[in-house]
Amino acid sequence: MKAAACLIACVLLALPASAQEVKWNFDKLAAKASDTVDVSLSGGLLRLATKFLSDDDKDEAQVKKLVGGLKGIYVKSFEFKNPGEYTAADLESFRAPLHSPGWERIVGTHSTTDGETVEVYVKNEGKNITGLAIIASEPKELTLVNIVGPIDLDSLSQLGGHFGIPEVETEKKK
Amino acid sequence: MNLDDELRSALQRQEPPPEFAERVLARVAAVPVRMPRPWFRLPVMRWAAAMAATVMLLAGGLEYRHYEGERAKAQVLLAVRIAANKLNKVQRKVQMISHRSNS
Repeated sequence: MKAAACLIACVLLALPASAQEVKWNFDKLAAKASDTVDVSLSGGLLRLATKFLSDDDKDEAQVKKLVGGLKGIYVKSFEFKNPGEYTAADLESFRAPLHSPGWERIVGTHSTTDGETVEVYVKNEGKNITGLAIIASEPKELTLVNIVGPIDLDSLSQLGGHFGIPEVETEKKK
Repeated sequence: MNLDDELRSALQRQEPPPEFAERVLARVAAVPVRMPRPWFRLPVMRWAAAMAATVMLLAGGLEYRHYEGERAKAQVLLAVRIAANKLNKVQRKVQMISHRSNS
């Protein structure tokens, strides 16, 4: 019985990072976008980046701790000249892979003021979060984030107030 | 014999003895030719060139790795900034709503 459990654990550990990586197709939007941000880091390059993050700098040390165990970070952000360059069907095509087992939509917000919608999905394996996906859409901007590997959402959200990000007042700080 | 005849006799063309050319060529071949080596073919210079090439390759490799590392670091910081920014917005909105519902 123990041997079987060990075997299953080994198989799960040996699963490639691609199992948690969300397969999105950006070809259609990339052609329409006026500006694109593309971050695609995995494997060796991510480990190399971690080595270059300083332990002395408070912000970098925090990021280093956060990304230390990750297998991949993928960010695509498109800016369009005009609203309506991407459709609801495009958005749905990005949501589709996140309907697969393991992925769960934990929160979604929509602002009527600026028309921004943000959806946060996590991939759970047991009690651990092993993947994060964010779909953030504004009339003239679309951002998709996929973080592969064990991610601490608290640590990530604590980066608010750093790098010029406004800090959110949390209950604890009151 | 007058002077003219003596000169003519002394300067007249004489055929070399047989095998003269062969003997000359044989002696030329027998003498080892010691040409000075060009400086760049000296063993020490070869070693120095190999060492310099190795050092340059290593330095180039390290420099490229440093460049790649700095670039990857900048990308990680950018990605985290974008992800944290979006999560932050969501968190802010959720907190705003919960504050409203509590008050």
